[in-house]
Amino acid sequence: MKSRKNWPVAAALVCASMFLAGTAAAQVTLEVMNPRGEIPPPKTLGISPRGGSLDGKKIVLIDNGKYGASNFLDALADKLKQKYSTATIVMYPKPAAQTITDLPQWYPTVKQQGDLFVFGVGD
Amino acid sequence: MPGAYFTTTEFLDDAKSAATDRGMPGIRTLALPADKYYVARASRQEVQPIVDAFFDKMVDDLTRPLTAEEAKPSQVQKLLESANIKVTGKDFLDASQKVNEMFLENHWADGLPIVPPTPQLVKAMEAGTTLSPKEVLGQVAPKNGTATVEKIAINAVMAGAKPEYFPVILVGMEGFLNKHYDLTHVVASTGSFTPVVIVDGPIAKELNFNSGIGMLGIGWQANSTVGRALQLSLLNLGQTWPQVNFMGLTGRLEAYTFYTFAEDTAKSPWEPFNVSEGFQPGDSTVTVSSSGNPQVFGGGAVAPWTAQGVIDQIVNQIRSRGPVWPHAQKHIIVLHPDCAVELANHGYTRKSLQEYLYEQTRTPYEKLAKQVSFGEGSEEDFIRASVADGRIRPDRAQIFLDNLKPGGRIPVVQSPADFHIVVAGGSPGYDLLFTYPGTNWAHETVKVTGATLTKEGK
Repeated sequence: MKSRKNWPVAAALVCASMFLAGTAAAQVTLEVMNPRGEIPPPKTLGISPRGGSLDGKKIVLIDNGKYGASNFLDALADKLKQKYSTATIVMYPKPAAQTITDLPQWYPTVKQQGDLFVFGVGD
Repeated sequence: MPGAYFTTTEFLDDAKSAATDRGMPGIRTLALPADKYYVARASRQEVQPIVDAFFDKMVDDLTRPLTAEEAKPSQVQKLLESANIKVTGKDFLDASQKVNEMFLENHWADGLPIVPPTPQLVKAMEAGTTLSPKEVLGQVAPKNGTATVEKIAINAVMAGAKPEYFPVILVGMEGFLNKHYDLTHVVASTGSFTPVVIVDGPIAKELNFNSGIGMLGIGWQANSTVGRALQLSLLNLGQTWPQVNFMGLTGRLEAYTFYTFAEDTAKSPWEPFNVSEGFQPGDSTVTVSSSGNPQVFGGGAVAPWTAQGVIDQIVNQIRSRGPVWPHAQKHIIVLHPDCAVELANHGYTRKSLQEYLYEQTRTPYEKLAKQVSFGEGSEEDFIRASVADGRIRPDRAQIFLDNLKPGGRIPVVQSPADFHIVVAGGSPGYDLLFTYPGTNWAHETVKVTGATLTKEGK
């Protein structure tokens, strides 16, 4: 119980010292601590080099499972087939109900599906 | 592997932030117009004009040679967040106001006034625990800021907490930082989920937590500031901010203090909640869970109710809400003391009530959705996948497999213990159902230890 009483006393002393300092110097300086956590920076990586035209490429369309993404990617797939008749389109949706889940073991499997990927629609 | 990433304009900052957090700031991102896409996505026909408008840009992103910066971006530098800041004003009030303005401009505060975290006040806060100020509790999602005891103390001071609350705040953070707790989803999702914080055991009474009328409301410093300290700690240590990487569309329902309350162990007819979670009688604990909008049952002071009627309403609510995601679902049911006592008078123990809820909420196989609301496939596919990958525990798996057939009844949780029954509220009172509709676990209970300023929680 003693320590509970010490809390307002400590706060009052801090305020009082600041008040007195303010009286003497006509100004008050508050020193405060930064509340943010320090972030260990990740190793920064570049993105993969591009290989020119899409002709003849195997393009992987990843449906992230959000509502409506399949409509968007289906329309995109048809347009890719129209414009790049020699390209192959692979639909490769994220596993069921994993929209918001990190999938460290699943993402590497994307690379086995083709040459390039398109991911959508993130929110 | 070259790629293009589609998001929407409202989520562009979020996408860039996440890409930088993961060490790949140069990901080529295409932002669809949010005001058009979220309506048009309902059908292929409606979304076609957006596809047409972005097609060439996507092709360009997939084929355009990299710039030097894209190929080899500058290493992200560690931002030092350790230096103290000096703020000068013409008097104490002016300086304090300047601190508040600076903290809000830096996204370090929640919009309500904060107590300036001076070194003296932080040191006094740290005196509430035996832990060293430099001790690291973990990394806080989504940006993985380091949670030291000192940093949590700074946020606790800002929240207006007393030093004797500090061990409760620390173990709350410990719960959030458990590797099984789905913190990224809870703090960042469009669903605006709100943590539920339950303080149980004798420390709740010693610190004067409210467990009666108005337990989720204002007026109790312990409830308000412990919840706010946790909120500010998550905000500052995980470095989230609305419209940047906290994308809760409506914002949290209890934005400033979370749902923070204590169990009324004195009026409960049963053993303390934390004993049912595996702790010893006399232990003080903090449970951190998560919830969407809580449902309210019973009659309060204005309408008749029966205890069995309340339970049946809760059963119907759970059965009607879907989806059936038993691997992750948890339900916190807060019964006001009169209701709990009436149930006990009718012979229910907490365990038998959990078993009743488990049985009554089972979903007929024929009612499983043919299409899950996220991703491809049916609810049956998803439950089978959850068994296969171990998210449904091996000792419970056979129950699900045996019932995935016509005439089967699928449990909506893994086991009866996933109905967490807590006694709190007024007399008269209402009864609450908190449910977290995530696809991963977000529920941890941690014992309070290391307290130096209270009799309990040593």
